[in-house]
Amino acid sequence: MEKKVKNLKRVFEPKSVAIIGASATPNKIGNVLLRNFIDARFDGKLFAINPKYAEISGVRCYASVSDVREKIDLAIVATPAETVPGIVEECANRGVGGVIILSGGFEEIGRVDLADRIAKAAEKADMPVVGPNCLGVYNPYTKVDSVFLPSYKLERPKAGGIAFITQSGAVGSTVMDLAAYYGLGISKFISYGNGTVLDESDYLEYLMGDKETEVIILYIEGARDGRKMLEAMKKVNKVKPIVALKAGKGMGGQAAARSHTGNIAGSYMAYQAAFKQAKVTEAGGIDEIFDFVRVFNQPKPKGKRVGVITNGGGLGVLVTDYIEESGLVMAKFSEQTMNELKKILPPYGTVANPLDLVADAGVEEYEKAIDAFMKDPGIDALVVIVLLQTPPIDERVIHVLSKAVDEKKKPIVTVSVGGSYTEAYMKILEGKGVPSYSSPQAAVKALDKLITYSKYLEQLKNQTQTNKADFNQAPR
Amino acid sequence: MTLVNDFSVLEKNGFKLLPYRLAKNEEEAVAAAGKIGYPVALKIVSPQIEHKTDVGGVRLDIKNEERLRQDFRDVIQNAAGKQIEGVLVQKMARRGVELIIGGKKDPQFGHMVVLGLGGIYVEIFRDVSARICPLVDGDVEEMIAELKTHPLLEGARGKKPIDRKMLKQLVLKVCSFMQKEDIKEMDLNPVVFDDQGCDIVDVRFSR
Repeated sequence: MEKKVKNLKRVFEPKSVAIIGASATPNKIGNVLLRNFIDARFDGKLFAINPKYAEISGVRCYASVSDVREKIDLAIVATPAETVPGIVEECANRGVGGVIILSGGFEEIGRVDLADRIAKAAEKADMPVVGPNCLGVYNPYTKVDSVFLPSYKLERPKAGGIAFITQSGAVGSTVMDLAAYYGLGISKFISYGNGTVLDESDYLEYLMGDKETEVIILYIEGARDGRKMLEAMKKVNKVKPIVALKAGKGMGGQAAARSHTGNIAGSYMAYQAAFKQAKVTEAGGIDEIFDFVRVFNQPKPKGKRVGVITNGGGLGVLVTDYIEESGLVMAKFSEQTMNELKKILPPYGTVANPLDLVADAGVEEYEKAIDAFMKDPGIDALVVIVLLQTPPIDERVIHVLSKAVDEKKKPIVTVSVGGSYTEAYMKILEGKGVPSYSSPQAAVKALDKLITYSKYLEQLKNQTQTNKADFNQAPR
Repeated sequence: MTLVNDFSVLEKNGFKLLPYRLAKNEEEAVAAAGKIGYPVALKIVSPQIEHKTDVGGVRLDIKNEERLRQDFRDVIQNAAGKQIEGVLVQKMARRGVELIIGGKKDPQFGHMVVLGLGGIYVEIFRDVSARICPLVDGDVEEMIAELKTHPLLEGARGKKPIDRKMLKQLVLKVCSFMQKEDIKEMDLNPVVFDDQGCDIVDVRFSR
């Protein structure tokens, strides 16, 4: 790994942070930044940098980074573009661990000269630079937070396993807000803007080795280097699943009259091809990002045979439709499972997949049915539909579902369709790590993505084993 | 001589094309057809004509000299007023599934290869799949599986499945040719496949 990428550790896990352009005026970016660290009780050292002040909100203020005698791991810069190259050079000379530049006014408006100076200084010192023209970084584990949108307006997600790499600050911040709303946990949030020094591929590579990250969301408008991104995706996706969303799918300007291929194959087609070749999971929109990442915390299924449990017949049929449509298979129960299930069902019930526990079913029936499904070797994954509106279902169902998920034997997705009462339950479930969907179609699609990815990992494993065997048998 | 030039460059690079000759006049066309063997096809060659079929510049399945002479005159007449380089006399292609195999150089990802249902409706159906070059084992299989029309390749309605090995080789060859020669865009369209092999009917590329 490149040194600059390795050195990102000091950006994400700093012991000391300098806010360059810190301000005492409420709602100024330089003030929001400082408040982010103070309010979140960042436990490292904090330095404010601004010649105008001696102290801001109890934090000592220095005229420049050079005046700080102590080690600085991370400097966050929110000053006008013209001043930034000089500051970055100063940081590099002073041995600052890494820099986040929030300010805009560089490549995006044609000031390549300013960007070049930043790149040069960073290169010389192997110093990672995030940005410019971005929201920077949020790490709930260390409380590093350069997102200059006040936390009362933009909720910060809790700590978890989902990393998010985004070029766009706007999409990035809304996704973060939604993640918090859904109760999903984030490992690292990275908005990298112009990507002058480090680009999407570098962050992918860093996250591959990041111990808190389990799954990576990549939101991309245009790669800085497509080939490099393809190679990085291939490498990283083998270790941690990547869910990618490409924006800007238009074919505008692609026309080349002579060739059919020129007409058909727009730039989005190249991205799609790259995603497929890297076996990256492509999301069709922001909704699907959330649908897909939720399921990747589940254990990897061994096959595509799905068992469905429901307390509403109709939804069971819908889920079955989507399962068959997507090429997954409705599992067949073993004899033992059949016998167990007969005991659970009322006399008028039928043992079949989907298993309709009927509206009389209580939490115990769910628990027993899930248990039987977990034991049946012919079932690889579970879709559990719970209509929370029926009288016998109460809050104990949360415990039953989260226990089943915590045991990590087989992947489970749950489906609950309903209004605000149901929604409230689902948020609790999601908070406990139970993938919960309000759309049966979305649940099945997400499960299908998990199964496809697991199959890919399985193939990789088999390939390596074959290669090893070949190597062992090869004449010496 | 762009077309014939394209043909010969591809042949030099190991693409096996349908036998062809460029005829400047009717007698040359007759002689060419005699060498190639009937049935043949005639195609007008003009830098000013983009879609040959649309202007009556193509005649297919010509089985004898008498028809050939008449069709030759028709094709020339239909192109009246245009700059004409000659008429391509080409062995008539086999019947089968028409595919397009093409590629382009993407500004971000470099060379990519595209496979799809070919023929004149390719831009309407847009049933294509793409991969970034170079390809690895299994990529072509995936490309085929992605086509909505892939059952056609597997022998729908009593037909035999197409020569898949040949298809794979050809896709890989397009990939390596584009990379080696740094091609900007190219098309083999159509390539007609049956269970015995394939005929590359028309080609175009630009650097």
